[in-house]
Amino acid sequence: MSYITGPEIVKYACTCGLLKPLPELYFCRHCSQIRCSFCLCHAVDSFFCGKCSENIPSAEARHKKNRCANCVICPSCQQELSTRVASKGPINPDDAKSAVKKSYYLSCHFCHWTSRDVGIPDQPSATGCWPERENVHINRLQEVLDVYQDIMLSQQQQKENSKKKRGKFVSYTDRTGVTASALRRRIGIPDIPHAKIKKPKPLDPAIAKSEVEELPEDIFTEPLKLMEITTIDQRLMQPESQPLTVDKLFPIHKQLTIKRSLRCRTCEHNVCKPEYNPTSVKFKIQLFAYYYIPEIRFVTVEPLRAGQTSELIIKFTNPTQHQTTITIFDLDLEEQEKYVEEQKLFDIIDNFEQAMSLEEKQQLSLPSLVMSSGSQPSSMYSLQSRQPSVIVKPRKINQAVNCNVAIPESTFILPPRDDAAEYDDSSDVHNIEDDPKLVKWRKSNKAFIKLAVTPAADLKIDDEVVCGFTMQHIYTNVIPAIVENMPHKYDHKVRVFFRLGKIVGSE
Amino acid sequence: MELQDINYSKNDYVETASGNKVCRQTVLCGSQNIILQGKVIVQAEAIIRGDLANVRTGRYCIISKEAVLRPPYKKFSKGVAFFKLSIGDHVFIGERTLVNATDIGNYVHIGKNCVIGRRCVLRDCCVIEDNTVLAPETVVPAFTRYGGSPGAYISHVPECQADLMVDYTRSYYQHFQPTKLI
Repeated sequence: MSYITGPEIVKYACTCGLLKPLPELYFCRHCSQIRCSFCLCHAVDSFFCGKCSENIPSAEARHKKNRCANCVICPSCQQELSTRVASKGPINPDDAKSAVKKSYYLSCHFCHWTSRDVGIPDQPSATGCWPERENVHINRLQEVLDVYQDIMLSQQQQKENSKKKRGKFVSYTDRTGVTASALRRRIGIPDIPHAKIKKPKPLDPAIAKSEVEELPEDIFTEPLKLMEITTIDQRLMQPESQPLTVDKLFPIHKQLTIKRSLRCRTCEHNVCKPEYNPTSVKFKIQLFAYYYIPEIRFVTVEPLRAGQTSELIIKFTNPTQHQTTITIFDLDLEEQEKYVEEQKLFDIIDNFEQAMSLEEKQQLSLPSLVMSSGSQPSSMYSLQSRQPSVIVKPRKINQAVNCNVAIPESTFILPPRDDAAEYDDSSDVHNIEDDPKLVKWRKSNKAFIKLAVTPAADLKIDDEVVCGFTMQHIYTNVIPAIVENMPHKYDHKVRVFFRLGKIVGSE
Repeated sequence: MELQDINYSKNDYVETASGNKVCRQTVLCGSQNIILQGKVIVQAEAIIRGDLANVRTGRYCIISKEAVLRPPYKKFSKGVAFFKLSIGDHVFIGERTLVNATDIGNYVHIGKNCVIGRRCVLRDCCVIEDNTVLAPETVVPAFTRYGGSPGAYISHVPECQADLMVDYTRSYYQHFQPTKLI
């Protein structure tokens, strides 16, 4: 189970040039390119609490500072706290029938910290209502926040005004929703500065004090009790109070977990979209490379000696429902470099074209602006004003290869994946003629392949041996929009790298 | 990395009609309360305490050597009560691991030498690293990797974890073969 625990021997090169194991890669069906988490656009799909598995709407999550309202964690060891019952005995001891009064306190099962340690009174109800500690600086923080909000609003206003002068784009949406000036323009009222937005009131600056309280006398005489001092971790868990001693620790609300969806930056299609339910492990969209790219697994390699040829056995698995043919090519790293250069060139051309087209559009639309009445044309611009996502530039593959792979002349076929084959014990009959020099053994959609590898002659004992090749497989695209009669097929190339292990001494 | 064959001596293991392979050197207390759904491997010196409460495992579970499955208890004012322990499909439990959880989801990988505390809940597709100590009543959310002592979130698990675990437990079962007599 090398994917979960063991060393990562086989790594695939993402289109962006990073090397990742196959389960961490995605495959965009629309661009037919491999993507990794670094070249995808991440978005938070939903917030939920990991303990109570409750979905929390994003507005509420923001309001609660991304913390669960009900679950609390231990301030001492950051494990989850649980409520414990402490019965106090009947209210009036004379009456045997009177109900036992229950009270609840929080306790940590791991370090045995309890809410009684810090003097939080026991609560009469089991759920929530734990006293929150007031932040002593809350007023000042609120003031600062208000001022920053004012500054943001006024800057926004300024930006809009300056944009209006240029007469190009209007930003219609912002963090504060549809901007007032945009609305005004849409309904045809002349744009006047909003009455409410005025110059931000300057804040009273914080004053530095030169007088500091003297150190108490007993700090030199009292023996130091390290058990009563909080650790850095404990302090940083509560940034607003940063308690110095353990008796000031307070239970902390548990941080929320997220479900994320991933989007291709080039074509803006989703490659991964989880289901809404926090406990569900299913996906609405799942374009993982593990389902599209043939998987290569390392099986064995003969002991590696510098300059001597060893036999490497790897296993290929076809995860798709379509037959594929695999060809092994030389690892052409220059090609990637060329690709990187090309992309740079494209970028320059793109930018140039964009600039050109913008100018043209302006010239074309200016007369129409004059002709048409009111705000109509400007509202059309809003359609284009969607922010393009940042595209990650491909880079060179940063992996040195010090071992030569003899490229086989023949290709081999991988039959489609057949889930029923798992239960079918009948003999594996397939009419595939294999090159016996290449294919060692095959079973359903898997094939064991023999390759000859020769580590470079100048390697020393205990040097790490890395080899690689380019795998070409036939990718069958089955997007419903494209399919008319036949699924359409084309060759897809991936670079694969192997960490084979270390050079051993001569016999 | 492809799995190698794991051989066992045929006399040491009992194979049931549903494909469970249970070693004779295990301690199965209260066997009437233990349900193994099929294709489950219970290896040497594992302990399953069915006498405390029901223990149910899904299909394709691997319980490694010296692992202990023990239903969790909870203290009440009038004594203790044991809860049943249920384990989903395609779950791997490493060597010398003590499991006290109430609920383990599907496609979970638990490493070696772990302690899964009382009444823990492990959701689907989570990974517990080797030598982890999970505090009692911890909930491990889906697609997370926990490790350390006390067990804490370490990283994210790839989204195709379910398929990886299915593949792993299936191939483990296929490679778990009796030694062939020559």
